[in-house]
Amino acid sequence: MLDMIVGVSVSRVVALQSEGQPVPASQNVRALVDTGASCTCIDPTVLIALGLQPTGKTLMTTPSTGATPVEADTYDVSIVIPISGKQEPLVRAVISVCTSELIHQGFHALLGRDILKDCHLTYNGSAEFFTLAY
Amino acid sequence: MALEQELATYKAKLPDLKEHQGKFVLIRGDEVVDFYVAYEDAIKAGYEKFKLEPFLVKQVSVTETVHQFTRRILPYNSERAA
Repeated sequence: MLDMIVGVSVSRVVALQSEGQPVPASQNVRALVDTGASCTCIDPTVLIALGLQPTGKTLMTTPSTGATPVEADTYDVSIVIPISGKQEPLVRAVISVCTSELIHQGFHALLGRDILKDCHLTYNGSAEFFTLAY
Repeated sequence: MALEQELATYKAKLPDLKEHQGKFVLIRGDEVVDFYVAYEDAIKAGYEKFKLEPFLVKQVSVTETVHQFTRRILPYNSERAA
């Protein structure tokens, strides 16, 4: 698990400001690093808090959907993964994310391979920690 | 329903979009607005042209990309939840 910040994408921020509307505050969320997720996925409560509407559609398969892919909304968001010390955080100013109800599993997001592909993930099982470098 | 018309437009015009395979198409209603190499550029153009009105950005692909999840989750769809 790690902490990350999900916010309105920079492009939507510009649109909100040009329409004289407030920009919703970014949300601090708990994310599960999931190499079994091809796309980062966020609980709808987070997206609702950001006042977002879908800007895409995609197909998803999970063990719950069976063999036939299911259509799902996608949203454009910004994601920041803070890091301790003086290093720059990992920032995605505009990224497409899938949506699924995750809160009941104890976290708000699955951090998928669309972001992990730009990172170096090391899992030290015997020492019970992982490192994520980018 | 959210983006229903835009998705129908994409599916109907997909045969004509093949030459733009891999690019991101911006669609509003039944209008194919433009194509972009990067997702970020398509989203930026969508907000610049349509502000906060609905629009669809989708990667053109003859074979639809399917996102795979090994975790037991259910895809969320705003219209099903409404």
